Formats: sequence, structure tokens, C-alpha cells
Amino acid sequence: MEPSYTFFDHTADMGITIRAPSLPRLLAPAGEALYAAIGQLAAGGDSRALSLELQGSTSAELLRDYLGELLILFERDRRMVLRVQVLTYCDKRLSATLFTQAIDDQRSVYHREVKAITYHELRVQEISGGYEASVILDI
Amino acid sequence: MPEKYTGPLERLDATRWRIPKSYKQEMLVDGIIYADDKLIRAVKQDKSPEQVANVACLPGIVKYSLAMPDIHWGYGFCIGGVAATDPKQGGVISPGGVGYDINCGVRLIRTNITVDDAKPLMQRLVETLFRTVPCGVGRGGVIKFDKKELRHLMAEGSAYVVDKGFGWSSDIDTTEAGGLIKGARPDYLTDRALQRGFDQCGTLGSGNHFLEVQVVERIDNPAAARAMGLEKGCITVMIHSGSRGLGYQVCDDALKDLRGVPRKYGIDLPDKQLACAPVESPEGKKYLGAMRAAANYAWCNRQIMTHLTRQAFAEVFGQPAERLGMHLVYDVAHNIAKIEPYAVDGKMTDLCVHRKGATRAFPPGHAELPDRYKPIGQPVLVPGDMGRASYVLVGQPGAMEHTFGSCCHGAGRCMSRGAAIRAGKGRSIRQELLNRGVIALARGRTGLEEEQPDAYKDVLQVVDVLHRAEISRRVAMLRPLGVIKG
Repeated sequence: MEPSYTFFDHTADMGITIRAPSLPRLLAPAGEALYAAIGQLAAGGDSRALSLELQGSTSAELLRDYLGELLILFERDRRMVLRVQVLTYCDKRLSATLFTQAIDDQRSVYHREVKAITYHELRVQEISGGYEASVILDI
Repeated sequence: MPEKYTGPLERLDATRWRIPKSYKQEMLVDGIIYADDKLIRAVKQDKSPEQVANVACLPGIVKYSLAMPDIHWGYGFCIGGVAATDPKQGGVISPGGVGYDINCGVRLIRTNITVDDAKPLMQRLVETLFRTVPCGVGRGGVIKFDKKELRHLMAEGSAYVVDKGFGWSSDIDTTEAGGLIKGARPDYLTDRALQRGFDQCGTLGSGNHFLEVQVVERIDNPAAARAMGLEKGCITVMIHSGSRGLGYQVCDDALKDLRGVPRKYGIDLPDKQLACAPVESPEGKKYLGAMRAAANYAWCNRQIMTHLTRQAFAEVFGQPAERLGMHLVYDVAHNIAKIEPYAVDGKMTDLCVHRKGATRAFPPGHAELPDRYKPIGQPVLVPGDMGRASYVLVGQPGAMEHTFGSCCHGAGRCMSRGAAIRAGKGRSIRQELLNRGVIALARGRTGLEEEQPDAYKDVLQVVDVLHRAEISRRVAMLRPLGVIKG
């Protein structure tokens, strides 16, 4: 199974379905989906590696929190994650190094603002060949 | 797309449907949906009635779980949801009953400009507004507030920014709650919320937020329209926006804080999205204080944009905004939770009223209304879509009796964003709007497609239900002429 994402319809917002051969490998396509929802983002500034450490009670909650961190990096710091090196991702903990770069506003095309990563229809489950996750973004 | 609702819906009368509390064992009260026979068919197309039933399970809920005719699927609460809980009876407060965009709301500004005088300048006016009022993803405002200023702004509400020169003192009188909910606790906000908010106060945002130039097309209630300063053929401006990233983060932080909290208080939820805490618990008080702070930020946000709008008009029409008569008609919140007194079993009781995509609609004589509106009732501003119309209503006594002083907030979506984009392929929504006489400018690449008129219910149907139910009365219809979107 190749890591991938697709969008699904929701009345007022946007849903993402993410698939990957393993739990840690869900994170990269999840981030790509978030950025695709925002628009066509272009990186073009300084590069920086950041450590991320999250605690939670389920892998779904941690996925939501991970995307929440990416949203903060985008909105507050104008940065995007180009690559994620996952050290741990299980039910209780997510630990990763995020390789980020500043966003080039001139070359980026924005579609819409993502307000938040919701808990609505949030799930991570094992499927044949890997894992599937579902997240709804509040637009 | 979500599954359809297949549970019970009993027709009570021409404008109300009931979900009996026998539907689910955990329901403490009935659910009541305001809709007519036509709208109810659309209501059943998603699971929003199920959400009405779930809200009826919340501890301390009083009388019923309600939904207005613009009901559609949301998180925990449906959009259009109204529920009141009694804090003294263990009643809860739920961030899902407010929404991420705390105090998303609408304000309406009137003018003395006639549509005939405005039309030759409309293109320039819309372009000037687009340039002057920051909108769109990643657009910071013209004003940046440091931490200390943000805390003042959230503690003092729109008076803080009016005092700094961003508006007129009369704007405060015609803002719901005077632009300030007392008891705000800016100190409860995380640094992250403040970081998201420091440069966004005075910005429109994106999605369904808009700034629209309109003409008063029809007057249905001349006395009320006169009190509001609305004249047929005159230009108005409607602004729809909320608490921006600061508010979204306050909600996000609260939902995190509330993980595991319902269990702590023995609350068993049918839907985790209804995460809540008793109003009088430390967690409940924390959310209430932070939510109030974010609500006050939103009023400052819309106030600064009012100031920028007046500047744009002054530039285009070559006269000061005062001479153009650009007074604020009213400003309403439609995502909020407030403590308000209502009669429960014959006794006045302070209730925590959640309005999620629902607007306050106080009747004539209510103590909270400014003097000029006491004879007519509170203005209720109901945006439709950018192709058809928006409405101004006034609250009626029926709202106090039946809906905890609440009314609808808009048309309600009936098409997903994905479906709207697909429907817009090969079409120019901008040109279609122009053909209808509406000049539209949007920063987001897909904004106009996602927000096209067909994505929304007909707001007249929504407004008509509440008019017939005597919850509110129509005052005026506003037709769009120009709109800016993020």
C-alpha cells in the first residue's frame, strides 16, 4: 500500500482519508493533505529541523494533535513540514523530527483557511495492508 | 457524504417537528426542529437531527434541544443548534455548542447613499474595500497588538478599540452586549492563542466570511426599518467574521483540556464531540472565561473592520463617513454561550444558553436593548448567499417563550464544498454573479465556487418559517451588489 490521501465531502467543511502501510507512515500524507486543503504551498526560505513530542491516549488523538501542530507552524510561523522523521508513534506517544522550511508567499496559491483540526469522525484503524485514518478540517 | 437521518420526526405544526425523548434512553428532553414541510426533507438528508437528539442528553438541559431552520450537520451540536442548561442543576457548558469560531457574527452598517449614486462607483468601491480590509489566508491586519494590549482588548471589548479611534461611541450602543461580555478571563488564554491573534484583529478571514455592499430592496416593516435607519434604495454594508485564529485556538485548547473531564463528573456522552463540563466546575468556568475573552476579541475584530469600511467609503465617495450616515444598525453574535435569565417552571432562572449558528432575538421591551430598539425588538441579521438576498428581522415574544430568545443565523449550507467546486467546473461564478449585478472579489482560488449561491438554502424559506412561528418578524430584504471574500 502506498501512502496516500483523498478528500471526502462534508456539508460545511472538508474530510480527509489517509492510508499508509504503517502507523508512522500516516503522518507524511496527512500533512500533505492539510497543505493541499490550504492551497498550493511553495517552500522557499530558511530550513529548520524541529523536535516534536506529543502525549495522548489514542493514535487518532495524536494524529489530530500532529496536524494541529502543523497548522500552528503554518499560521504562526509561516513554515511547512517537508519531511517528517518519526521516532515513535503509538497510542500514547508521538515523537518526531520535523524538517521545515519557510513558505514562499509569492509562489504559494491559497485556496482557503483551515480553522482547526476537529475530532469529528476522527479515527485511525488497521486495515488490510496497513492503516487508514479519517480527519475533518474545520474551514 | 453523511448518512441520512432515519429516526423519528413527529410533525407538531406547520413550523415545528419533534424528536421524542423516548427515541434514546439517555435523552432528558425532546428535540424540536423548526422547519416547514419543504425544508424538513433537506433536514433528513444528513445526521443533524441525530445531533439534536444527542444534545438532549446533556446534563442540566432545560425544556428541549432546539434547531433553527438553517440546521445542518456540525460537530457535537448541529449548526443552528440552541440548548440551555441550568448551572445550578449541574448543567454543562460545551465548546461544541459554540463552535471553533467563537462569536462568529454579523454586523450591518447603513448609509445615506442611494443605489443610483453608488452604481457608477461600485467597481471602484469593491476594489477599494478589497484593498483596505485585510482578507484571505495569511493576511495580517493593519494593526498589531502586543500581549498586554490583547489582554486589555479582550477584557474591555469593542470600547477598547473605539477609544483608540477605530469607530464611533454610538457603535457600542448598537452592538450586542455593548461589545463586551463581562467576566472575560484573558489570562486563561494560552500563549498560542495570543500568538494567533496578535495580528488578526481587523481581518475578515476566509471561507464563508464576507464583507458585502447591499441595497435595501424591500421594506416589510416600515416602523422597524425607520428605527434602524433603513430606507428602500439605500446602500448598506454587512460584515460577517468572528474571532479568527485566537478564537479557534481557544476552542482547540478547551477541547484538549476537556479530554477525560466528562468521565470525571460521571457524564456519559452519546457523542464525544459534546465534550463538556458542569458550568460551575473549574473546567467549566475556565472555558466560559476564555470564551468570553475570545468573544470580546471578535467584537473588536468587526469594529476595526467597520472603521476600515468607513475609510474606504469616504475615499470613494469623497465625503466623511459621518456625512454618509454610516451608522451601525446592529451587531449580533451567532456562535456563543451566554448566561441569560429565563422562566423555568414559573421561576426566573439563569441558564447557560448555547447558540451554535443561531442568533439572539430579544423581543420589544427587553431590558438589554438600546432605547431606540426597545419599541421594535432586537435587530436580527440573517445573511443569505451572495447571489440572492439577506434579511433583517426583529425578535418577537415568541422567541423568549419557545427558543430561549433565539433565531436562525443564515441560509445554511445544502451542498458540500467538494460538490460546490465540482458544480463550478467549467463555469465562471464571478461572471455569473456579475450577470446578476454582483461584483465579487475573492483572494482564495476556490472561494467563489465553494460559496456560490447554489451551495446554500434559500434564506427566504428559513426566515419565513420563523416569521410564521412568531419567533421573529421580517423587516427588510437586502440585495447584494458587491462582495469581498478571503
